[in-house]
Formats: sequence, structure tokens, C-alpha cells
Amino acid sequence: MRSQADITRGMPVTIEVDGQMIDSFSGETLLAALVAAGHMRLRNDQEGQPRGFWCNMGTCSECFVSRLDVTPVRRIRACLITVEDGMRIATRSISYD
Amino acid sequence: MTNSIHHYDVAIIGGGPAGQAAALVLDQNGARIAVIDEQQRPGGQILRQPPQEFAMAQSMKGKSYTSLKSQLRAFEALNRCDWIGGKSVIGIDRSGGTVDLTLASGDGITQVSANRLLIASGCYDLPIPIPGWTLPGAMGAGGLQALVKAQAVVPDGRVLLAGTHPLMLIVATQVIAAGGTVAEVAFDQRQSFLARLLIKGAGTALRNFGLMLDAASAWATLRRAGVPVTFGQRLSVIEGLNRVSSARIGKRTVHCDAVGLCYGFLPQSDLPRLAGLSVRWAQPTGGWAAEHDGWMRSSVSQIFVAGETSGVAGAPAALLEGQIAGAGIALDLGLIPMDEAEAIRRDAARKQIRVSRFAALLDRIADPTSALTALRDANTILCRCEDVTIGAVETALIQDSDPNSVKLVTRCGMGTCQGRGCEHMLLRLAAHKRGVGPNELRGFTSRFPVRPTRIGDLIG
Repeated sequence: MRSQADITRGMPVTIEVDGQMIDSFSGETLLAALVAAGHMRLRNDQEGQPRGFWCNMGTCSECFVSRLDVTPVRRIRACLITVEDGMRIATRSISYD
Repeated sequence: MTNSIHHYDVAIIGGGPAGQAAALVLDQNGARIAVIDEQQRPGGQILRQPPQEFAMAQSMKGKSYTSLKSQLRAFEALNRCDWIGGKSVIGIDRSGGTVDLTLASGDGITQVSANRLLIASGCYDLPIPIPGWTLPGAMGAGGLQALVKAQAVVPDGRVLLAGTHPLMLIVATQVIAAGGTVAEVAFDQRQSFLARLLIKGAGTALRNFGLMLDAASAWATLRRAGVPVTFGQRLSVIEGLNRVSSARIGKRTVHCDAVGLCYGFLPQSDLPRLAGLSVRWAQPTGGWAAEHDGWMRSSVSQIFVAGETSGVAGAPAALLEGQIAGAGIALDLGLIPMDEAEAIRRDAARKQIRVSRFAALLDRIADPTSALTALRDANTILCRCEDVTIGAVETALIQDSDPNSVKLVTRCGMGTCQGRGCEHMLLRLAAHKRGVGPNELRGFTSRFPVRPTRIGDLIG
């Protein structure tokens, strides 16, 4: 949920996450956009159990997602990356095969 | 790799209170400085700033923030100092006579070289392997706070804060101010234990009235909002299917959609250990703090440390250490006469006495030892990267109680986080097995690159 208390955000930005369009704002971190969209599950562990982010400061590696709109595809920590219009992201919580 | 290597007098890793303080002293004495941080903007975690595109009126109220904010403004006004934001330092190399840093970001690899290095890389939430802590929605309280104060985003639904550290009172009020809902703030400790420590340390607490006032006003805010603040009932399990849906506090079930775990903070120690700095086990919260002399010189020449890297003591202490490190580096580089450096050091050292007493009081209050001792659930994942359970580690410890052997056998600590999540608990378990303190054990070996990096970037 985005706070509405005394705040002006940046320009609207739309990103694609696991094939779904998500509204975001310029300046937001990818992780903040995911949390605001209720997208808490970022990967599955070896037993298929759901995982979410833990530290939100670049140390735990739980928020690794793939950025598909760049070549080669990059794995990035969602908490350290700022959203960009047209960004296409695949979390590791769904299977593509 | 890029061929252009920028050279500086001083490279500072970390744009928090310690790094800023050092930069201000060094800039005043004519040093060419680069400050490198994983975050886009300066501030560190304590003053993690909203994006430039945002305007937030309520950003970081509270008395304890005042002097930190004025320092941040002064730092941002420096015009000779290069700010290198959004980049992770992944390697330190001193073989060429200078201190050469390898930096990684989404754009690839760059290099920075300097005559002196200050490591002021801060701290992170103590990872607490409680059953259910891997569920989406369970997070470090510092991570939650950063989401709220720098991004103005709150997890949906009811947020539970649980642990031992009083910071959670402040995080809870920040969640409420942002329009979120706090289910409860649950302290492990009994109220009588906290009262006894506060009375014993009353003088210290009163002399640090800024922080105490913030905590007291946080408590009043929570009371007005009808948020229960409970004591003496420990969080034992976090439950949920696809994400957090409830938690057990003592004998009660608390319905919640997110949990912020607040048991204290560990120094970021991978860069100090990579560079071979001598470190000590940081009691009582754990982790490795870099050792230093009275000028914040580490055990390795050319490298200084300041702030939580040298032991978690809070932002005011970090700021003072940064000032001393700045003076120490300026002295080392011959930029400042001894008497001037000594004056800066003496002034900061005098103020340190007060803040370090408060940090020691906070350490005693927030001590996570008994919570961690209670957490020995064999099925709970300890190493989140490699899915290694506490039970698997305990089984391996029966054969061999050397932490690095257990790492090899179980893969605990061999994942992308390099053990930042699990090392402290593995060391505690190994120490318990041997009947010694964790300080008597050898921790994990820190390896290049200390942050996950694309192989193609390194060889390209």
C-alpha cells in the first residue's frame, strides 16, 4: 500500500512483472513497487515453498529477479534498482516451462 | 571492465553518518574524495532518503534525527566530493600500492583507486531463524522501516513488530503515520527487566534524552492508536501458506499479514574481512566488528573504519567515529597538522563517552541471546540461500565442530549472500557444541566478489 500522507511522487511509470502490468512511480525501487502491488512472493525455494524479501538493503539476495528488457537478461536485486518505464521483470515465483 | 580508473586521495565506502562526517573533515582539509554507496542517495540506512522525484513533508521527524539531518545537508552541499551512488564495492586490492576498489552495478563494473580507504559500510538486521521467517511478509524491521520512510510504502494488512530492540516502537509509529495498521508490538523481555535496566541506567538514558524522548513519544502514539505493546511473551512461530497470516506470541495467535523482526543489528563485515582487517566478535548481538586504534586505523595500513563497521553503537556514535577517522586520514596524508587533528579527535572522543554508555545500555536491553537460544527448531531453514535447516547444521556439528567444515559439508553459508544471513547462528551453534564463546571460533572466509555479480561483467 502506498502512503498518501503529505507526499508527492514522481511521474507514473508502468512496468511488467510476470506478464502483468504494475503501476509505479518514477524514483520508486522495484521492490517498493512490488510490495505496493501486493507482490510479496518473489521466488520458491528448492521445496517449492514461497519466499519473500528479507533485508531491503542489498545484503540478503532474497529479492533477486530477472530483468528481461535488457540483453543479456540481468539478475538484479529488486531493492537496489529504480523502476523504469517499459521495465520487464520475471520473479522466480512462477515457472515458465 | 572500463579502462578509466578514477583516482582519489580518499575513497569512503558508505554515505551514512560516519562516511559523511569523515568526508566533511577531509574536504575541509583539501582532500579529493569519492563516497560510494549501494543506495542512490546519501543518508545511510538511518536517513535513507526518498527518491529525488518524491516530495515528502513528514520525512523523519524526531529529535534524534536533527543533528544527523543537518550533517547530511552539509555533506550534500560539498562540491568537490564525488558521490558514487547505486554501486556495490565487490573487491578491495592493495597490491599496487594504492587501494583499488572494484564496483558493480546494473551497468557493469567500474574501478576507483585511492591513497586511503575508509570502510563505513554500516550494519544490517540480525537475521533471526524463527519458524516461518522465510515466508513472504516476514522481514527485518530495518528493511520494513526503510520501505516506509524512504519509499512511503507499507505492506498491506496488519503488521506485527516483534523482538527485543526498542527501535520497533519507532518503526511501528512510522507504519501508522504512513497509513498502515500495526497489529501489535511484542517485546520478548518482561517489562520488569526493562524497567530495572532503565532505572540502573537512568542517568545515561536522561543524558541521551533525544532518543529517549522519541521512544516515549512513540509509545504514547501507539497507545492513542490503540496498538497493544506487550512484554514477556516471545514470538515463537510465524505461520501462513503463501505469505504470513498469523504469528504465535506466547500462547496467543496474532493475525497479521507481515512481521518486522527486530532483535538488533550486525556490522557489515564482508569488506573488512576481505581486506584482511582484524575483527572481533561483537557481543551480545553478534557479527564481526573491525578493530581499530584511537584514530580509527584498522589493522591493515591505508584502511580506516568508522561507524557500525567497528561495532553497532548507533548513528550519533558513528558520526563521531567518522570525524575521528577523517582527522586520522588527513593526518596520515599530511593534510592537517597534528594539533588540529588532535583537537578534532579530543572533541569527538569526549562526546563519545556519553553516546557509548547509551549504546551499551541499549545492547543490554536488546540482547537477543535468550531469543536465539530458544530458537533451535530443527526444521527451520537457517541458510536461506541454500535451504539448509538448523537440524542439518546440528547434525554436521556432531561430526566436526569447525564452522568452515560445516559450511563445506552442508552448504550453509555458500549461497549468494555469503553467509550474511546464517553465519552468526552457525557460529553460535558451533560454540554451544564446543562449550566456548563464538569469539573463540574462526568465522567464514570472505571472498571476492562480496556482492553477487554477473560473471560476464567480470571477464568482459
